[in-house]
Amino acid sequence: MDLLSNKWIVNVLICCFFIGVGCNSVEKKIYVHLNYTVPCVRLLNATHQIGCQSSLSGNVGVLHVLESEDNLDWVLSKGPNPPYLVILEAALFTRSIMMKLKNGSNRVAGVAVVAPNTNPTEPFSPYTTCPNENTGVYTEKYDPAYAHCNVTVWNPLGNGLAYEEFDFPIFSLKDDNDTQVIRQCFLDHNQVVNGSAPQYPLCAMQLYSHMSAVTDTATCMRRNDINFSISPEGVCDPLGDSNVWASSRPINTTQKGHKNSENVIIAAARLDSRSFFFDIAPGAQSSVTGFVSLLAAAHALRNATQEAPPNRTILYTFFQGETFDYIGSSRMVYDMENNQFAVDLDNVHSVLEVGQVGLRSDSQLWLHSDPVSRRNSSVNDEVRKLIENLQVASKDLNVTVNQPQASQPLPPSSFQRFLRARPIPGIVIEDHQSVFTNRYYESMYDNAEYLNISYPSNLTADEQLEHITETATALTEVATMVARALYIQAGGEESRLPSITAEARLVTRMLYSLLIKSNNSWFQEIIPSEFMSRLTEKPTNFYVGVANWQSSEPTFLVQYLLANLTGTVVNVTKEDCQHQREDDKDKESHHLYHYMWVQGSVPPNGTQRESFCVRSTVHLSKALSPAFDPLKEYTSTEYSTWTESRWKTIKGRIFLVASHELEMLTLGVGVGVLVTSLLLTYLISSKADILFSSGREPTNATY
Amino acid sequence: MNLERLPNEEKLSLCRKYYLGGFAFLPFLWLVNVVWFFREAFVKPAYTEQLQIKTYVKRSAFGLLLWVAVLTTWITIFQHFRAEWGEVGDYLSFTIPLGIP
Amino acid sequence: MTASVFFGCTFIAFGPAIALFLFTIAREPLRVIFLIAGAFFWLVSLLLSSLVWFISVQISNKDSAVQQKGLLIFGVVLSVLLQETFRFAYYKLLKKANEGLLTLSQEETMPISIRQLAYVSGLGFGFMSGAFSVVNILADSVGPGTVGIHGDSQHYFLSSAFMTMAIILLHMFWGVVFFDACEKQRWWAVAAVVVSHLIVSCLTFQNPEYVASLVPTYIILFLMGVWAFYSAGGSLRNLKLCLTCKDKDFLLANHRPR
Repeated sequence: MDLLSNKWIVNVLICCFFIGVGCNSVEKKIYVHLNYTVPCVRLLNATHQIGCQSSLSGNVGVLHVLESEDNLDWVLSKGPNPPYLVILEAALFTRSIMMKLKNGSNRVAGVAVVAPNTNPTEPFSPYTTCPNENTGVYTEKYDPAYAHCNVTVWNPLGNGLAYEEFDFPIFSLKDDNDTQVIRQCFLDHNQVVNGSAPQYPLCAMQLYSHMSAVTDTATCMRRNDINFSISPEGVCDPLGDSNVWASSRPINTTQKGHKNSENVIIAAARLDSRSFFFDIAPGAQSSVTGFVSLLAAAHALRNATQEAPPNRTILYTFFQGETFDYIGSSRMVYDMENNQFAVDLDNVHSVLEVGQVGLRSDSQLWLHSDPVSRRNSSVNDEVRKLIENLQVASKDLNVTVNQPQASQPLPPSSFQRFLRARPIPGIVIEDHQSVFTNRYYESMYDNAEYLNISYPSNLTADEQLEHITETATALTEVATMVARALYIQAGGEESRLPSITAEARLVTRMLYSLLIKSNNSWFQEIIPSEFMSRLTEKPTNFYVGVANWQSSEPTFLVQYLLANLTGTVVNVTKEDCQHQREDDKDKESHHLYHYMWVQGSVPPNGTQRESFCVRSTVHLSKALSPAFDPLKEYTSTEYSTWTESRWKTIKGRIFLVASHELEMLTLGVGVGVLVTSLLLTYLISSKADILFSSGREPTNATY
Repeated sequence: MNLERLPNEEKLSLCRKYYLGGFAFLPFLWLVNVVWFFREAFVKPAYTEQLQIKTYVKRSAFGLLLWVAVLTTWITIFQHFRAEWGEVGDYLSFTIPLGIP
Repeated sequence: MTASVFFGCTFIAFGPAIALFLFTIAREPLRVIFLIAGAFFWLVSLLLSSLVWFISVQISNKDSAVQQKGLLIFGVVLSVLLQETFRFAYYKLLKKANEGLLTLSQEETMPISIRQLAYVSGLGFGFMSGAFSVVNILADSVGPGTVGIHGDSQHYFLSSAFMTMAIILLHMFWGVVFFDACEKQRWWAVAAVVVSHLIVSCLTFQNPEYVASLVPTYIILFLMGVWAFYSAGGSLRNLKLCLTCKDKDFLLANHRPR
């Protein structure tokens, strides 16, 4: 033991001095920490809480790898060692199993889902069947016939799991070494043979995801504000971020409200997505296809709008937080109504929104419009014109545009929030005629693989970036059509249309950056050097996140994409560029433009990047629900009230647990030793005089 | 301070001080009084001041019991209904537990 | 594991030491002081050995398993030698202190004998080394897990606790034997203490074969206990007297005020 003690002390000393706390070889003998843990977290709105929760000290359960749904009764009733921590293969992560686990939750300590490396064949959407049911335009007041997806249930595959509340933690594990360790541990210790209970020690797992907020948004926002306690700490934060927008003509952003001479066409797309788990939201079909097409269209329109500017301005807008009751679009509309935005609703001529366009069958696109507002003849005329323009634009292209049934309402889209304010003519372009064709709407499988974006295995990262996939080609067609339609809708000449074409190379680069990894040579060139650390090696997570000082990953990426694609390189020094001006006398430009000093590329025979200044009309506008910022109405039914709970630790570890008998035996032996030694010592010390009497004095124990 | 060494008059005045001090919403003074003077009041052989000490100790004990009863009732009610009270419950709380209603 | 394991292991490891402390040391301030001073001397020895260990690990080749193993053996031997050196230093210090105490006290006899000092300081050494060897383990025994996910025995906690108990008691016996040997200048006995300490420490190399390390350790513990008993003035006759409850007559016979 001396040996061990010395070793440990030395270890501890070294650890404390050089590595920090938390390094302990005994701990390593007991626990295996999981490296890759993605939790499901708690979100709250005006009335509900959804998501998952563990106890403060983590939930501990005996591992049980579920093989099939029939196997569930071991967990729910038969197994002798509850609570169980259930390991699910992705195929078993279904509503029926999860609801059974939820209802038997006193025997379930948690669930870990093994995320597969390839998408399953079954459709899976943890979202609701009627996305943003109550905050779109189709309310009882607007037209009862269309309320609550009465006519079309947009996402029939949705199982609503992401809107359930679970009182145990649910984690996602990547199918790699960790899950191998878990499976091995299960096989070694916990496997049920012929229905007989496995012997102790059993393999167990502990998951920590304790959420601070509870009940609903009103409660947690109130608790955020109460801070007379010893350690005031927030418990939740509103979801939100920033919308990204740019205009084909510079608009003075310092002057808010109505602009007399402006007439804008809003070209919109949504920016965010979500999935059941916190930081996996690839949103490829749900959002990336739409906004990549719009970005490519904006790029295609750059030259045309500068050389022969149409008389209306095109406003490219990318809305954040649309998944959570239209945070971004409702905020922009609110700002327009309250003269807080560069233009107001009177300036808006029409809206063209690009929705999910990645999965076209027979290269068809569907132009959705709102049947209710089209009952008004002037609106109807404008919508018809817009449709005609789209049809003109699709000529000579490998795209056919069709209209769905006239009585079909709009699919979930940002445009609905504009209609909610007033009847504005507009179209939503989608790849589906009626219900979504997306089989993985708002799920972790809505990724590059689902869009068939794959690269020959022998390509390097740079070659993959340039490799034009079929999906990119298809989206380029959509982008070209959108660009041309926008141009004529803005009043441009039809004769210029052939010169407006989107670049497939650009689309494929964007898809690679957003769906494979953003840390690539192209993206490094188009951002300022101080943001290099924000580029990642993973697919972008399109979950909106909470509103804070730094914009989220997708907002950041789209902001710089849009700036580079619509902006122009200007000959301005680095200092002036960073001070948002053309030269040191210029006081006006920053009202109109945004300047940024981007890294640029390394010239073929150089070592230094050649940086330059890009001037664009890109701006960020707040995408925080009006329910939070000016209104403070946390029970609003008009605006999004989603908040995300805060938490302290998210972690998981596996280990063995000893039987209760062994624990009690240890305690018993301990108490026995203590009592025996107390008795013995008392006896010896009381008779020490006699025992140690040969010498002059008593020694060992006196009295 | 050793109570044994004190003359009886001072014992009485000390006991009275503690008894009176308890009225300033300090039930712990009464608790101390009861524990400290219990022997003096009930166990020791009789002396002149003992009768008064006895009354002070009795009254302190009564006040203490009252406090205990009131506090126990309130704490039980508060813990039980805090979540139901919602807003009021939160404003009455000094520390709000995380993650539970 | 859980709190029950934590308390179980704590009682096993420190039960005898706590009992000895309560019944024989706690009531006499002077003994408490010497106990803590003994613990402090052990700590200083540990500090020195960890310093040497730290430096040698830094300059060694961290990838070579053989070298690391050799380093470990070197560290253990060095630590044992240092501990025994400090025991000797403490003995010397106590001799000096005792003389000082004698001049201070008004009584003829010394307030504390060298045998009592031996016992007290030995227990001090034991307390500290026991604490250092088991506190880490105890801290981890509170958590939900038990040792074994990498295939180790799940009796790790239990055997560690028993080992610690043995170490604490051994330090006590070593203290008694060592001081007695120094008093009588029997250097072979001092050597025997050092050697047995070395043997016990090296027995832990047998881990995780806990039986192979615990059984010999307890044999040595028993032998050292008997030796300490004799060198503390015990004898078979005394034990017999004690067990047959003839102490009353005995006390009468050797009437001697304490």
